[in-house]
Amino acid sequence: MATATATLAASARRRRPALAAFRKAVTRKPGRLIGLIIIVFFVLMGICGPWFYGRLAVDPNALYAPPSAKHWLGTDFAGSDVLQEVVTGARYVLATAALSAFFTSLFGVTIGLVAGYQRGVTDSILMRLTDFVLTIPGLPLLIILSTVWSFGSPWQMGLVLGITGWGGVARAVRAQALSLRERGFLEAARGLGLSRRHIIFKEMLPNIAPYATMQLMLSMIAFVGAEVGLFFLGLVPFSSTNWGVMLNQAVFSGGAMETPDALIYLLAPLVCILVLTLGIVLFLDAIDELFNPRLRERA
Amino acid sequence: MTGFARRLAGKLLTGLVMVWVVVTFTFFLVHALPGKPGDVQYEQYIMSGMTADQASAKVQAIYGFTSHDSLLAQYGGYLGKLAHGDLGQSISYSGVPVSHLIWSALPWTVIPVLSGLLVSFLIGVVAGIVAAVKRSSRWGGLLTVSGSLVAGVPAFVLALLLLVVFHTEWNLLPDAGTSDIQYDPGWNLPYIGSVVQHAVLPVCAYALLSYGGWLLAMKSSVVSVLGDDFILASELRGIAPVTRARYIGRNAILPLFTVLALSFGVMFAGSFFIEDTFDYPGLGDLLLKSIGTRDYPVMAGAFLLITVSIIVANIIADLCYTLIDPRVRR
Amino acid sequence: MSRPKPLVAAIAVATVAATALAGCSSSAAKKSNGGSGGGGTGGVFTSIDANNKITAGAPMNPFNAAPNMFLGYNQMQLGFSKNDPSDPNALLPGLAASWTSSDSGLTIQLQPGAKWSDGTPVTVADIKTSLAIAYTHGTAGPVASAGGTVVAGNNFEVSDVKDLGGGKIEIDQQPGVKNLYFQRLVLTATIVANSVYGSQLPADVWSQIAAVQGTDQAAASAASAKLTAEGKTIAAFAPAKDVSAGPFVETRVNPGEALLDRNQYFYAAAKISPKQVILRSYSGNQQIWGYMNGGELDYAPYTSMPTNILNQVLGAGYTRIDAPSYVSASIAFNEKQAPYNLTPVRQALAYVIDRDAVTKVGEPVGGIAAPTTTGLVGSQSDSILSSDQKSALNPYKPDTAKATSLLQGAGFTKDASGKWHLPGGQPWTITLQTVNGFSDWIAASTIVANELTAFGIPTTAAITADFATYQKEMAAGKYAVGWWLVALGPQTDKAYARIYGSADGYSVSNGQATHNDAAPTNWEHTPATYTVNGQSIDPGQLAAQLSTTPVASQQPIIAQLAAATNQELPMIQIWNYTHVMFTLDKRFTNYPKSGQNDLLANPPGVWMMQGYVQGK
Repeated sequence: MATATATLAASARRRRPALAAFRKAVTRKPGRLIGLIIIVFFVLMGICGPWFYGRLAVDPNALYAPPSAKHWLGTDFAGSDVLQEVVTGARYVLATAALSAFFTSLFGVTIGLVAGYQRGVTDSILMRLTDFVLTIPGLPLLIILSTVWSFGSPWQMGLVLGITGWGGVARAVRAQALSLRERGFLEAARGLGLSRRHIIFKEMLPNIAPYATMQLMLSMIAFVGAEVGLFFLGLVPFSSTNWGVMLNQAVFSGGAMETPDALIYLLAPLVCILVLTLGIVLFLDAIDELFNPRLRERA
Repeated sequence: MTGFARRLAGKLLTGLVMVWVVVTFTFFLVHALPGKPGDVQYEQYIMSGMTADQASAKVQAIYGFTSHDSLLAQYGGYLGKLAHGDLGQSISYSGVPVSHLIWSALPWTVIPVLSGLLVSFLIGVVAGIVAAVKRSSRWGGLLTVSGSLVAGVPAFVLALLLLVVFHTEWNLLPDAGTSDIQYDPGWNLPYIGSVVQHAVLPVCAYALLSYGGWLLAMKSSVVSVLGDDFILASELRGIAPVTRARYIGRNAILPLFTVLALSFGVMFAGSFFIEDTFDYPGLGDLLLKSIGTRDYPVMAGAFLLITVSIIVANIIADLCYTLIDPRVRR
Repeated sequence: MSRPKPLVAAIAVATVAATALAGCSSSAAKKSNGGSGGGGTGGVFTSIDANNKITAGAPMNPFNAAPNMFLGYNQMQLGFSKNDPSDPNALLPGLAASWTSSDSGLTIQLQPGAKWSDGTPVTVADIKTSLAIAYTHGTAGPVASAGGTVVAGNNFEVSDVKDLGGGKIEIDQQPGVKNLYFQRLVLTATIVANSVYGSQLPADVWSQIAAVQGTDQAAASAASAKLTAEGKTIAAFAPAKDVSAGPFVETRVNPGEALLDRNQYFYAAAKISPKQVILRSYSGNQQIWGYMNGGELDYAPYTSMPTNILNQVLGAGYTRIDAPSYVSASIAFNEKQAPYNLTPVRQALAYVIDRDAVTKVGEPVGGIAAPTTTGLVGSQSDSILSSDQKSALNPYKPDTAKATSLLQGAGFTKDASGKWHLPGGQPWTITLQTVNGFSDWIAASTIVANELTAFGIPTTAAITADFATYQKEMAAGKYAVGWWLVALGPQTDKAYARIYGSADGYSVSNGQATHNDAAPTNWEHTPATYTVNGQSIDPGQLAAQLSTTPVASQQPIIAQLAAATNQELPMIQIWNYTHVMFTLDKRFTNYPKSGQNDLLANPPGVWMMQGYVQGK
């Protein structure tokens, strides 16, 4: 039965049924399993990929070479192996997306919860702040920022994207918090005299968590797009293995839209982005069902 | 009605405050950038053969539209002029009024964005309903995945793919510009036809950008409404499917209005890439160019306009929501 | 789901209607981009002006920072420079049919029949107004701050413009100012109509100019300030319509293109074949390549393209024309930052970098690997230096052994893993600075970084977000090693002033160069004197001397400067650009060919004026 510290949360899961529910959700549709496999594949590529390769070699005599036995996906503008670049670049893309999602959730969930619970003046102030962040166009701001601060490392990029992107999450979390507020168990918790901190982080957060996780995964797609886009526009720093930089080079310097030579160089990172997005989307379906029981079909 | 009027007044006031905050923010941000206007031109003059002194004199003459007052004084002046609707003079175009530049660029952003928004809304909502109703079947699942996938693809990728398919491979649609120069601008058929022809790909790009969002939002909204008790009750009571569909539709579409306001912002963010790829001289393109040339007045003006549009869109969406949803009206 | 159906139907109808409308109108009124039929004169010449990306809303004022004016088409000069390194004063005729130069100035003969596009003739009033405007814009006159100081060689001072009748005009250089290139400066001034711009100048502008040229310092500064203020007004002026003395007149500009129609009043209208000129806008190189692929451009300017694009373009029917370009891409050093103050270090780096490989990746089509570093482009130094002097230059062929011995001689050590350490013991790493937008530099940097890292100096390329920031930071001395354009010819004094001028702390006044290491514009920090072949030379002084020496007598000075630059390497020249252009003979023929460098140095409008470019 319930433990001494009465968590009156509506849905307290115990470990074993969760894992079973997870497995059932994933295997219900084949698409979801494929999505999970894709995600795991890219994560493995991100972690282990660079171990297989040494330094990136250049070959001025084989620029934009077609695929061959030596270079499975051909070469780029400096004669480096495209496959090596794609595999090495996965780490940066995934790390940055994860960190951006982390920072966004950190800021957005905290602010949304506090605003939703507190209401009144705090809520007003925080919501005005959220509106401000939402109305400022993110991309021009990032471009302007890039001229003063070169945010290249995954942590820096994650932080910057997080700072500009937490608005939507905060608003949505606040809406959830507001509706949670009306439910009985929070009334009871207040009546029991539990501290505000406890209520927010021990009662509300676990109920928000599924929604927040969904948003996290969904936003990862957006962040992959945003960071690749920033590099595509030509922001610093330059790195031959960065997928966005590869796209930029392929289109603007290699004429991938005009000649077939650079097409593979364009398609390799493009297809990776598409497949990664597909994987997350497919897998999201399983998470959706897991956390939102109403979506479970009458099987 | 007075309640509505009060709400409207409240929203306008908040909007105005927001605009002022944004103006201040952009002003100080823009002036914090390193480099001066004319730096790029200076180098080009040197390269074309002028001596260093000549080049700096020329830069001073044609770029000398920067003020040398203190930042705070400049800020005050800027606010004063703004109250009169004067956005200042461009630096990189040596004195052309900023409002002139912005007004010529505005239609080329607003019209494609609105058209794209409308198209994506209509198609996305319909697809979302189908996806929700048929979510157990294969089609429903496929539709949902298609929506999420398209939503996840970056804007420039979409634009590039469209170009490759419709221009490079099959030379169906033009790749750049707003219309053919052969036609006299005006309300004549050839010119309008040319404009429409050049606008097809950008509008498609905008539509694809947010189509996925609409689909997913509508689907989840319909699904949650389907689970509501009153729907079950109406099914039990034997209400005709058509009427039931109307109940579902009206309830499901409500949350989408918040998405409407947000997606306006998404469209503007995507407009940079799309305008850049299709050589469309819209607001995003103007802003991008002005950052490169450190044209502060144009930067501030374009930034301001984009933000004001988003604020106005938010207000309208909020008001529409209160108009449509009787539960919110008090 | 009965409700959505009408909506779907509505959308479908609307889409079909829109495409029908679009398709209908585009096929009905044919896009006359391909030239209206064949035969004789007429046809539309489509091109791109590389200097002008075309913004609707920009004024048709050549004095604006970003105008919709196109040199050679609707913007005219008295003459057009031939870009001849042996005679910078050689020009092609423009609005001036011929001219004679004297010690006191220049006498020009206007083209008989030179008229503006509104039918009025070109007169001395137009020349006078245009030269006065040059004063307000700083292109003429001394430096504003110098007031009345006479700075030998740099001043472009016009004291008077006299009408000698019959189209003859005398333009006097200010007595006491001796500028060798006065002829070129006058003849390449932009000429505008007095009827349009005359009202923008105050009536007493020439007395203001006289005050600036005078000896009264206070009056000169006051007049100078007034002139600059007037310059701002003129820059902001937006004429209602285009009045052009060139072969074409601007009819309309839309965001994607500028349309220019033939000017029937042009003095050589009979020579001009195209009926219209369309100049397209572009936002990136790949758009130009796209246009070329479709055969839409009759002339395409230089773009930094890879070899596969070159082959594609040649396959689409374009003819390649190569013209000399007097620009060189180099890697420059800030010699205030150790270890780049040591000459053996810079020389060692020159031995490691394989310029051929770098050029192959950076500029395979538009660049030639620099044979050596002299401060001038290879073709120019070849023509000036004697064979003895040339053979005395060090070509710095890739030689890692030589580089190793140089570094070891300077006290550098190599550790067990093969990495180099500074004499103090710290590991040596290099950050090569480059800038966004220069795709060739960026690509080349990956090769350079690779070569240096393989040699044992871990090198990374860093990119500055935009050019304005790059300029500022380079001038502030923030970069130890960065890319830089040098050898800006064909005037040799300009090329050497680039290296040994304000960027190196030299300021020139009265023909004398003074070196100030603490000058704010100084970022190269080269030593004040070099020792070459046992002689001590002052490169800044020599560069200043070049501006007052006629071309024929420049050889000894250039030989010294070339030898010094070659030995001391304030920068390493990597490649020399070539001006690669493309022409299409589908609709027009009779283009200039490779070798006709005087024409090729100018835009196609100038070719048409001289009788080239005939419709098929």
